[in-house]
Amino acid sequence: MAPVKLPKTDVVVIGLGAAGGFAVLPLAQAGLKVVGLEAGGWFQAKDHVPDEIRNNIRHWPHAVQKANQEIPTARNGRDGPALPRPAYHPMMNGVGGTSLHYWGQSWRLTEWDFKVRSETVRRYGASAIPAGSTVEDWPLSYEELEPYYDKAEYTIGVSGKAGNIRGTRDEAGNIFESPRQREYPMPALRHAGFADHMAEAAKRLGWHSYCPPAAINSVPRDDRPACFYHGFCGSGGCPVNAKNSTAVTTIPQALATRNLRVVPYAHVIAIDSDDHGRVTGVRYLTDKKEYFQPASVVLLAGYTYENIRLLLLSTSKAYPRGLANNHGQVGLHYMSHTRNGVMGLFPFDLNRWYGTPAQGTSVDDWSDDNFDHAQLGFIGGGNLLVPMELKPIEAASMSTFGKAPRWGSAWKAFVKENADRWTPVWAQISTFPFEDRFLDLDPEVKDPLGYPVCRLTVGLKESEKRAMTFMQDKAEQWLREAGASAVDKLSHVPIGLSTHAYGGTRMGDNVETNVVNRWGFSHEAPNLGILGASVMGTSGARNPTLTVQALAWRTADHLVKEWKSIAL
Amino acid sequence: MGSGQGVPGKHTAGSSLLQSVSRRDLLAGTAVTIACAFVPASALRLTRTSTAAEVLTSTERQALEAMVSRIIPADANGPAALEAGCARYIESALAGAYQSLRKAYLSGLAALNAIAMSNGGKSFAASGATEQDKILSEFEQNTEVGDYGDSAAFFELVRRHTLEGMFGDPSYGGNANFAGWDLIGYPGPRMFVSARMQEMDAKIPLSRVSAKQLVHGSR
Repeated sequence: MAPVKLPKTDVVVIGLGAAGGFAVLPLAQAGLKVVGLEAGGWFQAKDHVPDEIRNNIRHWPHAVQKANQEIPTARNGRDGPALPRPAYHPMMNGVGGTSLHYWGQSWRLTEWDFKVRSETVRRYGASAIPAGSTVEDWPLSYEELEPYYDKAEYTIGVSGKAGNIRGTRDEAGNIFESPRQREYPMPALRHAGFADHMAEAAKRLGWHSYCPPAAINSVPRDDRPACFYHGFCGSGGCPVNAKNSTAVTTIPQALATRNLRVVPYAHVIAIDSDDHGRVTGVRYLTDKKEYFQPASVVLLAGYTYENIRLLLLSTSKAYPRGLANNHGQVGLHYMSHTRNGVMGLFPFDLNRWYGTPAQGTSVDDWSDDNFDHAQLGFIGGGNLLVPMELKPIEAASMSTFGKAPRWGSAWKAFVKENADRWTPVWAQISTFPFEDRFLDLDPEVKDPLGYPVCRLTVGLKESEKRAMTFMQDKAEQWLREAGASAVDKLSHVPIGLSTHAYGGTRMGDNVETNVVNRWGFSHEAPNLGILGASVMGTSGARNPTLTVQALAWRTADHLVKEWKSIAL
Repeated sequence: MGSGQGVPGKHTAGSSLLQSVSRRDLLAGTAVTIACAFVPASALRLTRTSTAAEVLTSTERQALEAMVSRIIPADANGPAALEAGCARYIESALAGAYQSLRKAYLSGLAALNAIAMSNGGKSFAASGATEQDKILSEFEQNTEVGDYGDSAAFFELVRRHTLEGMFGDPSYGGNANFAGWDLIGYPGPRMFVSARMQEMDAKIPLSRVSAKQLVHGSR
C-alpha cells in the first residue's frame, strides 16, 4: 500500500534527542516550519522514579523499545570473532532521547582535539600518528565552534566553573580547558564529601582537579528547581526536571513558537531522494501504517548507529550504495572511547550513596596533549573522573578485590563491610579512527521489520593498550594517594556497543574521505544535514553531548542563513 | 521554562510529594523528614500477600528457594535471600519482564535436582547445606554437572537476579522489610538530599520507603 503523503514542510528532523531536540529551536525561532519525528513518546517528571531495577536493570520498560529491537552486532576485526551482543541498547527513544537519562556531563573539546594530526606531526613527527589511523584535522577550529559552545551552555543550562576565560586561568576550574568567552551560566554542582577527599589527594599529587560541568541545575533556573541530589541520575530521568534534557528546555521553547510539530511514535524507515540526488522527504511507520513526510530539507539526528543504518538502508537510483554514500565513506572512521576504569577499595566508608555522577571530581593533567608523549607510544590521553552516586544493587555487585568468594556467608560479610567503601575512577581515553574499524549492515541479523541491524567492526590497537595502561596507572596512583587499600583494574577488551559512538558520517572538506562538509551537510545530497557525534572526526577525552549540541546549532544556523541555496 | 503551555512533556516540580514540602523546609534542608512523614505508617511494614503469578511447580520453586538461600544465607548478618523475598521476586519477574528466561530457569533447576538426586538420592531442596554448596560451586565453575551445558551461565543468572531481589526496590516483591538495604547500610531512596547528608561522616536517617511510595505515595 502506498504511504500516506503528508503536506510538505520546510524541515523534517529525524530524532528529537540531544542533537535534533536542540537544533529545532534555532530553526523554529527563524520561522521555518519544522516537523520532528521521534520514535518514542513523551515523558513527564513523574515517570522518572528512583528505581534501580526499572532504570538501570530493565532499562526503562515503560519506554518504546525501538533501539532494543535493533541492537547492533559487533565483531573483533574483519575476520575476528563476534563480540557479546548485550540484551539492551544503551540509548533510548523518547522526546528528549537519551538526554532524558544521561549523566548530563557537558564538556567542550580542546583546541588540540580539532587538529590532532597537524599538532602531533609538529610536536612529535609524522611517525607518532598510529599506523593505520585515518585521523584528519577537523575542517573547523575550536575558535570557530566556541560561540556555539557558549550558545549551548546558556541555552540548555550548564553548571560549572570556568578555568580559562580568554586566557586568564583559574585553578578553581579546569586550567587545561581551552579559552572560553565567559563564565558558565550556573555555578558548579555542590561539593560532596568524598569528591572533596579525592580532590585533596589530587592536589597532594600536584594534579589539578575540578568539579566537572553538567547540564544539571545547580541553582533554580527558569521555573525548574536545582538538583535534589537524590542519587538515581545515571540512566534515570529527573523527577523534578533539574536535568536539562532537550525535553524540558529547547523542545518546549521551539513548540512555543508554533513552528515545531512533534510526531511521537514515528519509526523512520527511509529517507527518499530524487534522480538528481536531492532528498525529498522521510518515510515512517506509526501503528504499522506508512507515511511520507515531504520536506525541503532533511536533518538526520539519530544516534550514530542509527544514522549510519538509515543512510545505508536508504538506497535509490541516485544512491545505489546508500544515501550520501557514492564515495563509500558512510560508516568509516568509526570510534568509541576505550572502556577503562580502576576500582579502589578503602578501609573506611565513603558515603557515595547520593548525589549525581557529574558532582564528582575530575583531573585533566593526563588528557589530550597536556603532557609529553615523546617516549610513550601513544597520543592523546584521558580525562579521569570520580563520580558520586551509588545505587544499592550496583553497590552489592561490587568487585570482591580477590578478598572474598562471590556468594555465601563470607560474601555477605564482605558486602556488609565494603558496599560503601569502593569507588571507580573512570578514564575516558581519546580514540582515533582507523582504516579497519567501521560500521555497516549485518548480513544476517535483522530487526523485527526485516531490516538488517548495524554491525560494528572494532578492535583494540597497541597504541590504545599503552594509553589504557598509562591511564590505569594514574588512576591507581590517585586512589592509593587517597587511601585505597586495594585496586581492581578492568581488563583491556575491545568495546562493542557504546554510548559514546563517533564517526561514520565524518565532517571534512575532502569529499573523498568525508560524508558531510564543514557545515554538516552532505557533500553529495545538498539538502541533507547530519547531526550527532557521527560527524565528529576525533573523540576527545570526554563525553560528546555538548560538542554534538554546539555542532547541531551551528548546522541549523547555517541552514537558516543559507536557506535559499540549500532548500532551493 | 515559562513558555510551552500545554506541552505534553511539560511537568514542573509538582509531584504530590513536592507539593507537601514547603519552600521553607527545602531551604532549611529538612525535606527528608517530610519525605518520611508523608508515607502512612501502615505502609512502612511491607506486608505482602501472594500476588505473584505462578510459573514454577512446587519442586522447581523449592529448588529456587534453596538456591537463593545458599547464595545469601541466613546468619548473624541478617536474614537469607529467601526471607527477603528473592525467590518471589524472581518468580514474578519470570511471569513478566523476564519471561524469555523461563526456559533457562526450568532446565537449570531441573539440573540442580537431577544432580542432587544422583549424588545423594534427595532433591536439591532436601539436601543438606554442605551438599547444596558443593553442587552450587560446581555449577559456578561449570564442572561436573552432567548433561547441563552452561551451568555457570545459569548460576550467574540466578546470582544476578538474587541480588536484584535482595537490593532492588521493595515494590518488586523482594528486599522485604528493607533487609537488603539494611545489610549494606543503604539509607534508602529520598527526594531531597542535603549537603550535610553527603559528608563522609554523615549519619543518615533511614528513609524506609520504596521508590513508588516516595514518588506516588503508594505501592
